[in-house]
Amino acid sequence: MTTIDGTTVKKLVVACDAGMGSSVMLASTVRKQLAKNGVTVEHTSVQEIPGDADVILTHAGLAERARGVAGGTPVVAFNLFLGDPAVTKVVTAIQKGQTIDV
Amino acid sequence: MSDVDPAALLSPGAIRLAERAADRTEAIRLTGQALVDCGAVEPAYVPAMLEREESVSTYIGEGVAIPHATLAGKDAVLRDALCFLRFPDGVDWAGSQVNVCIGIAAKGDGHVDILAELAQILIDPERAAALRAAESAETVLAMLTPAPEETPEPTEEGER
Repeated sequence: MTTIDGTTVKKLVVACDAGMGSSVMLASTVRKQLAKNGVTVEHTSVQEIPGDADVILTHAGLAERARGVAGGTPVVAFNLFLGDPAVTKVVTAIQKGQTIDV
Repeated sequence: MSDVDPAALLSPGAIRLAERAADRTEAIRLTGQALVDCGAVEPAYVPAMLEREESVSTYIGEGVAIPHATLAGKDAVLRDALCFLRFPDGVDWAGSQVNVCIGIAAKGDGHVDILAELAQILIDPERAAALRAAESAETVLAMLTPAPEETPEPTEEGER
């Protein structure tokens, strides 16, 4: 269990296996949702997760691999590429400056 | 951010509107073949697409899947490209029905704007239904072409 303080998130990374498909889609929707919050949203392959990410979103099937390269950065797993509640929770926490458990 | 011409990424020959597949594997093979036919990938890309599907499904909702390779398959990509295959009769995708496969081949980020537009379409059930029902390549391309005024975001992002 980790906590995410929405006020401290500056860079959110969406990771998938190749970084060319699903992560691109999800990153584009999250980027729009967080456009007014000054958060950088990037998409990447799991292997290339940048060290300065504050939160990592990844598919449940890739979460273990992501945690392996994430260091202490919180990894939030999702199952749906559109409208996943776990993603919504993180987005809302950033928008409203809330602290959440993930 | 990119000035890539959508029609160059999604060529008319890569938009196929009356496909038929017995199952998900055949649908992915057809999607991969469309990318091979338009010179976007080498044939070795197709098995990597099937491999990716085994690990994590590329079904993204609203009857749409976006088959693409694993990271290992990237070496077989010749240029960034998309293809659009419509399956009017649907394909069973591990319990979900898929009517549209958008195949992706990418080394860079040239296709990102079109996928962003796709995401916007799919969060609107009416537009998603229109995309599934598209009867012409022109309609498909027009729907997936990002609106020019989209960058400054003039509209208020509505909370639902």
